[in-house]
Amino acid sequence: MRFRRASTDSWELRDIHPLFVSLLAELPKVAARHKKAQSRLYPDPIGGADHAELRRDWKEHVRPELERLFASSRETVAGDVSALDGPNHGGKLVIPGGHLAAWLNSLNQARLVIVEESNFSEADLDHREPPDLATRRGLSLLKMHFYAHLQELLVEAAG
Amino acid sequence: MNGTAVVTEVETRDQDALDAPWNVVVHNDPVNLMSYVTMVFQRVMGFPRDKAIKHMLEVHHKGRSLVWSGGRERAESIVEQLHGYLLLATIEQAEL
Repeated sequence: MRFRRASTDSWELRDIHPLFVSLLAELPKVAARHKKAQSRLYPDPIGGADHAELRRDWKEHVRPELERLFASSRETVAGDVSALDGPNHGGKLVIPGGHLAAWLNSLNQARLVIVEESNFSEADLDHREPPDLATRRGLSLLKMHFYAHLQELLVEAAG
Repeated sequence: MNGTAVVTEVETRDQDALDAPWNVVVHNDPVNLMSYVTMVFQRVMGFPRDKAIKHMLEVHHKGRSLVWSGGRERAESIVEQLHGYLLLATIEQAEL
């Protein structure tokens, strides 16, 4: 897979292996599986047991804003990866420059969801041996590494 | 007794200034990439790259980094932005 600037305001992934096409296509769906990752996606804004009023206000006013932001990012990415539907994409995906923030956000959502669902530790994530793709856990680890690699590329592009 | 008047001056300040400052603290987590955290510090905190890297490394090695200190309202706004980038961040009231 190659990543390069396609125009003054777009980037593209080319020669994407079919396995990675499927991982890209499912990114918004993975990112939307918030159920098990609620506490990480919407963390407590303040330490300690006090400040109940701040927590209440946060839940009432800030959390809905975050939910809207995360959903909007996923929708943007879903629109981009819809180009991978069907057989005619040619292993290529264009990411408009204005969508980079949405991609970074969705990749992070997906990675946080996968970590919570698979209960990965820091040691699991740092493990550099190829994951066992015959297992669900190994496939999840592959997703983590692929999404992290893509995130690194996009951070560099966004910089 | 002479007629000298004693005038007591009372300095008024808003409540934010009278309170102990609020700190914005970013906490380590195994998911966020170092390059991503650096980029977020540059964007949200307005840090130059060197300072952003310094705070990112502090988060990575010490588990937390104090990235801002001041009034509560602004501290809450910063934490909201950091949560929007999915960083683990909290506000904490500093001890006077």
